[in-house]
Amino acid sequence: MGRLAAVIDLVARLGLAVVLLVSGVLKIADPGQTYLAVRAYDVLPDALVRPAATVLPLAELALGALLLIGLGTRVVAVLSVLLLVVLTAGVAQAWARGLSIDCGCFGGGGEVAAGQTEYPLEIARDLVFLAMAGWLVARPRSRLSVDGVLGARAGGEVVRKGADW
Amino acid sequence: MSSTDRDRRGAAVLAAAQRERRRRRLLTGAIAVAVVAAVVVVGLLATDASKNETEGQTIRVVDRARLLPEHAGARDGVVVVSGSPTAKITLDVYADFLCPVCAKFHESSADRIDQLTNEGVLRVRYHMVPLLEHGSDPPGYSVDAANASLCAADAGRFVPFHDSLLAGQPREGGRGYDKGQLTTLGRDVGITAPAFAECVQSGRYDQRLRDELARTVANPALGQPDGSGRTRFGTPTVVANGTLVRTTDADWLAGVLSARP
Repeated sequence: MGRLAAVIDLVARLGLAVVLLVSGVLKIADPGQTYLAVRAYDVLPDALVRPAATVLPLAELALGALLLIGLGTRVVAVLSVLLLVVLTAGVAQAWARGLSIDCGCFGGGGEVAAGQTEYPLEIARDLVFLAMAGWLVARPRSRLSVDGVLGARAGGEVVRKGADW
Repeated sequence: MSSTDRDRRGAAVLAAAQRERRRRRLLTGAIAVAVVAAVVVVGLLATDASKNETEGQTIRVVDRARLLPEHAGARDGVVVVSGSPTAKITLDVYADFLCPVCAKFHESSADRIDQLTNEGVLRVRYHMVPLLEHGSDPPGYSVDAANASLCAADAGRFVPFHDSLLAGQPREGGRGYDKGQLTTLGRDVGITAPAFAECVQSGRYDQRLRDELARTVANPALGQPDGSGRTRFGTPTVVANGTLVRTTDADWLAGVLSARP
C-alpha cells in the first residue's frame, strides 16, 4: 500500500487517541456531571451508575494513552470498537425511547429540553470514530509507535524477518 | 550443507524467533499494564476527591437578617410561608436545593423579594420540591435538605437555613451534605431545640415532600414549554397570584408589580 495509506494509519491512530483522551479528561474533570450523564441514559440500575461513570473516563484515558504511544494497537483498537459500539447503542436507545438527553460524549450530558437533542449528529460522530478504530484493527502498524520500535505487529506478533533460511 | 544441518539451523532460528516473540509480548504487556495502572490510580483519586468534596465540610452560615421577625417563615404543610396575609401579591416559588439555576435565581432576587415582603407588598410561599432526589451521589440530598429546611421552619430559623444551603450549594452528581452536616448547620444558625436533630435524622417530612412533588409535577398549570411544544415542570418555577412568571426575564419582578390588580 502506498504512502497515503501510511498517512491514514497515523492519522487514524493519533486522531482516535486525541478523541479518547479529550473525552476522558473532560469527563474526569467533572465526575458529578458524568454521573448525571450516565444516569440520564436510564439504562443502568442506580447501584451501577457511579461505577460506570467512574470506569468510562478511565477506559477512555487508558485506550487513548495506549493509542497515543502506539502500544498493542490492534488490541486497543478492538477494545475501542467495543467501547464505541456500547456508547453508540446508548445514544440510539435514548433516541428510540424518546428520552431528552445530551450524550455527554465530551463532558456535559444529562437531561436537556426536548428541542435540544442532537442524536443524529452524536451518532454520526460516533460512526466516524468507529471507522477510525476499524481501520486500526485492520492496519494497526503506523509510524512513531512503540509497536514499531518493538518490531511487533499489534497484538504482539513478531514479524518474521529473521527466518532467512 | 547436509539436510540435517539445515534442519538443525532452522530449528534454532525458529526457537530464537519464538523467544524473541515472547520477550516482545511480555514487554508490550508490561508497558500496557503500567500505563493503564497509572491512568486508573490518578483517575480514581481525582474522581473521589471531586465527588466527595463536601465531606467533612461545615456549611457556612449565611444570615442576612433582612426579613422582619414576623416574616421568619411559618410552615404550612410542606410549604413555608413568609409575609403579611394581607399582601396584594402572593408569590409561589418552587425550587430545589440541588438546582444550580435555583441558587442563581435566589441570589439575584432575594434582596428585592425580602424588601417587598417587609413592605407588606409580597407574601412568599416557598415550595421545596425534591425534583433532583436522584441528582446526587448517593441519591437523596435534595429531599434531605428540603426536609431539614422544614424542620428549621418549625424551629423558626427557616430563612438563614435556606439561604445557607443555597449559598453553599453542593455540586450536582456529588455527595451533597449528609444529615449530620445539615444538623450542624441548624445548630450554627441558632437552633437549640433537640427536636430539630430528630426531625432531620428521621426525615419527618420526606414522604409528604415526595407526595407534594408528584402533585406539583402533574399540575399542568405549572408546566413550562420545553422546546418541543410540550410543557414540563422544572425548577425554579415562580407563580404570581396564580400566573406563571418568566423568571428568565431580568425585570420579571417589575412585571409582576405592574400587573398588580
